[in-house]
Amino acid sequence: MNNQRLWALAPLMVLCLAGCGRDADKAGPDGVAAPSNQTLAAAIADEGDLDMLEGVVRNGGLSEVLEGKGPYTVFAPVNAALGTAGSELGDEAMKAQSAALLRAHIVPGALTRADIEAALARGGADGVQMRTMSDGLLTFSKDGDVVVVTAADGATARLTGAETVVSNGVVQPVDGVLVKAE
Amino acid sequence: MKRSITLTSALALTLAISGAALAQNGNGNGNGNGRGNGNGGGDNARQERGNGNGGENRGGGNDNRGGDNGRGDDRMERQVEGRIPDVARDMARSQDRMERDVRREVEQRVVVDNGVVVLRREANRGMMNGCPPGLAKRDNGCLPPGQARQIERARDPYNRYNYVWRTLGGDGDYQYRDGYVYRTTPQGGLLGYLPVLGGILSPGNTWPSQYAYQQPPQSLSQYYGLTDGAQYRYADGVLYRVDPQTSSIGQVAALLTGQQFNVGQRLPAGYDVYNVPYAYRDQYADSARSQYRYNDGNVYQVDPTTQLVQAVIQLLT
Repeated sequence: MNNQRLWALAPLMVLCLAGCGRDADKAGPDGVAAPSNQTLAAAIADEGDLDMLEGVVRNGGLSEVLEGKGPYTVFAPVNAALGTAGSELGDEAMKAQSAALLRAHIVPGALTRADIEAALARGGADGVQMRTMSDGLLTFSKDGDVVVVTAADGATARLTGAETVVSNGVVQPVDGVLVKAE
Repeated sequence: MKRSITLTSALALTLAISGAALAQNGNGNGNGNGRGNGNGGGDNARQERGNGNGGENRGGGNDNRGGDNGRGDDRMERQVEGRIPDVARDMARSQDRMERDVRREVEQRVVVDNGVVVLRREANRGMMNGCPPGLAKRDNGCLPPGQARQIERARDPYNRYNYVWRTLGGDGDYQYRDGYVYRTTPQGGLLGYLPVLGGILSPGNTWPSQYAYQQPPQSLSQYYGLTDGAQYRYADGVLYRVDPQTSSIGQVAALLTGQQFNVGQRLPAGYDVYNVPYAYRDQYADSARSQYRYNDGNVYQVDPTTQLVQAVIQLLT
């Protein structure tokens, strides 16, 4: 009787093993969770704290790009960071400004936080840099445990919240706008 | 299935590229002969683009590219050994002087590097002199018909977002008007103007006839899947879909840095963080011997010590 029960469990055991294998595959080579099937545009739309940014993306005409091939990493100012600009840049008359602002927050490729941390560990005290789609440089550095991003004009922000790794890139929420408003 | 499609695409591409030497060995490191480039080394099996013209630290293909990692046997990439010299040359050919100037400008901007068309981002962002058609030059810039309208607009609350145009770089002040950004001296003298994404370069608008562009190299078209028969135009970091008949702008196809690097060239600032697309990370993982960085559809293999580009790997999907 006991043997019969064991045999009955065998298919489940096989399923478990197969499932375990798939779970293991979900971790990438750097230990970061595998990307979801979402796009950058969808990930931004789904995150409540990026509502304002979503409006800026749509107004700037970059939704299709963020649904497309990529990959890009979007340093995504949260609602509080965009503030008034978030609503005003959603205005029809501000399409060009929206696009210009966004391009300063997008870099090529997929940058996970682990990648940034690893580069900082390698890169020394002066920080490490990435080029934006507006042809500027973002410099990453550490302030304690926090990763700080500084734009060429001195605008700074900190990585905040959780990153979202998606099919065409990574959304990295930041608590500031990476273009100085003056 | 995926693999067979990939290989078919690669074969098709091979046939399509006349004279381009593709990666021929199993490790995908591309030992094909580079195009003749006038530097006396045309038969060097390890030459890649970047040997000869252009002159900025491009000499001498790096021969530290022996395939030591077995990569590339079934992946969707090939080495850059040649690109199709499909140069953007369909600028207007009318008789007036302005269009002749534009054509000359286009020819200067399209950089043919060792038979390879590479996208470039101009230091001045392709800013043009004078005023856009229909606008008159005045002491304080380009005015549309009706100066009062201009003055009224100058007071509009959105002027406070002119700061976003500082991302264009360069000296001077920036103002946005009617689809164009104007760069002026602090005293108001006009220095140039630039059609911008989201402005005149928006879906539904006609491409400004005087605005120079480049057509993307075939490798980039392949990567982004731009095979629908439309025309694609690259200008100032943006790839636009354009109706070839009407020059009407469709969607924005991609954002690009517009930077491309040659073998032997030092990787410029701005690529310190590992950023390889997730699907390629197993294949192109940083090691003590090589680093890998992604940009505009290419993965660059870089010497960690010297930061010299060892190989350029075009991603085809």
